[in-house]
Amino acid sequence: MRKVAVIAGAMNKWGERQATFRDMIAEAGKLCFDSCEGLRPKDVDGLLLSTAFVEKNQFQTHGAPLAAELLGIKPTNLIGKVELLCASGTTAIHLAYTHIACGYSDVVMVVGVDKLFLPDKRETIWNLQASCDRDFDCIHGLGVPPPLFAMMAKKHMKAYGTTEKQMAAVAVKNHRNGSKNKYAQFQNVITMEEALNARVIVNPLRLYDCCPVTDGAAAVVLACEERAKEFTRDPVYILSIAQANTHKNSANMPSLTTWEHVVIAAPKAYARAGITAKDVDVAEIHDCFTISEIIETEDLGFCKKGEGGAFVEEGQSDFGGTVVVNPSGGLLTCGHPFGATGERQAQEIFHQLRGDAPNQVPGAKIGLQHTMSGFCSDCSLTIYGRI
Amino acid sequence: MKDDIYWSSIDLYPLQSEEHNRIAPFYQHLRENRFTTTRCTRCGAEPWPPRVVCPECMSDQLEWIDLPVTGVLDTFTIEEVGVPLGFERPLVHGLVKINDRLTLFSRIVDAKLEELKEGMTVTLKVIPIPRDRVIYAFTPA
Repeated sequence: MRKVAVIAGAMNKWGERQATFRDMIAEAGKLCFDSCEGLRPKDVDGLLLSTAFVEKNQFQTHGAPLAAELLGIKPTNLIGKVELLCASGTTAIHLAYTHIACGYSDVVMVVGVDKLFLPDKRETIWNLQASCDRDFDCIHGLGVPPPLFAMMAKKHMKAYGTTEKQMAAVAVKNHRNGSKNKYAQFQNVITMEEALNARVIVNPLRLYDCCPVTDGAAAVVLACEERAKEFTRDPVYILSIAQANTHKNSANMPSLTTWEHVVIAAPKAYARAGITAKDVDVAEIHDCFTISEIIETEDLGFCKKGEGGAFVEEGQSDFGGTVVVNPSGGLLTCGHPFGATGERQAQEIFHQLRGDAPNQVPGAKIGLQHTMSGFCSDCSLTIYGRI
Repeated sequence: MKDDIYWSSIDLYPLQSEEHNRIAPFYQHLRENRFTTTRCTRCGAEPWPPRVVCPECMSDQLEWIDLPVTGVLDTFTIEEVGVPLGFERPLVHGLVKINDRLTLFSRIVDAKLEELKEGMTVTLKVIPIPRDRVIYAFTPA
């Protein structure tokens, strides 16, 4: 297996965009090329597009050749589209990594996009009902599911004494981080009082407990070690990847308060990278809801099971704590255009480890990316390092 | 698009008849107020939702079995914002435990919000939907 590095990465401006998904692929692709001096489309021999909703929302299938054409890339080794809902981008990165590691491609761009703001907002909410088990879960009005995470929050509170204030602490932290990210959807700092008094979305989740609807794109370029060194003196290497999936239908989820797919995948990711959870300096993890970040910090091994609430409340996931979690502002403030979140997390870790992130974690050497998708069905982990 | 055109790709609900769907008996059973799934006659697995191939042993020799039509409301939540078109607001979602192995995420209908309690008994409610189809939910017993 060859070593694989990230040599470029960027996101475009996320939010409610006056732009098509095609425009956004071009924007993110340009910024990605711009992040690596000398890298041009002709240097790229593979392209993977990740998107979850372009087929439903924009009526466009076969999107990868379109993305390649928009970015002037003529792949000679790899072309395709990857979909795993919210983890589409991370999965695409994993597949590009594997292809390069095996020697089938040398330089692959992975670009993610989704456009979720449509003229009638009800349309995306309707299409979201394609995301769960359509015949057996979506018939109940379940989409990408705030109700599920509300249930998780209730159960985690009951099992471990987690509080609404601890959930709000995630939102306050991530909004403070996001305020330094000009590409994030929101730059507003919020107070604990504002978070605790915001309107209820699905009890006990309030407005700031939930990530927003977002348009956005992001891209990274992966390369084999030899090619990486042509373009940059300080590549960020992918140290390991790991995934696990436990279910699709809601009835088949093993536990709402312990995410078994994380428990399965995280030890593999650490072992393959030759590290432990304690070695992680910076983590971009899937805070689709505040309770998600709390459960993930537990199941990723950053803290003990049941102590995720206290972990964030005591500042252990903030600057100066055990591990800085979501310095980009996370999904809560960057937003969550499903197919682009994986690349968005990856480019944040890339810049963190290169030392040029807008909200830099001092001296970060090891970074972790965690993405979850669907009805909390699966876990996709990537560990990056400067070695 | 003409008003008389029906396109299933933008329909929330599946096609349910035998002409389109091999688990059509599930929907026929619902019409009889029966809640069913498939049991593998070879290995005995009783997966949810019903199948045409056993996920445990790959047998396609399956039979229909009845599940309880009452259950216990384990947890519930009330969705205030972002309720999809065609569903009433607020939308009540419940985790309904119907036996030791199966807890279903289901809509809770015809319930007074103030009367909802964890641990209460709920019962199957079959709801007609357009194009002569049915879906299920649960309702306080």
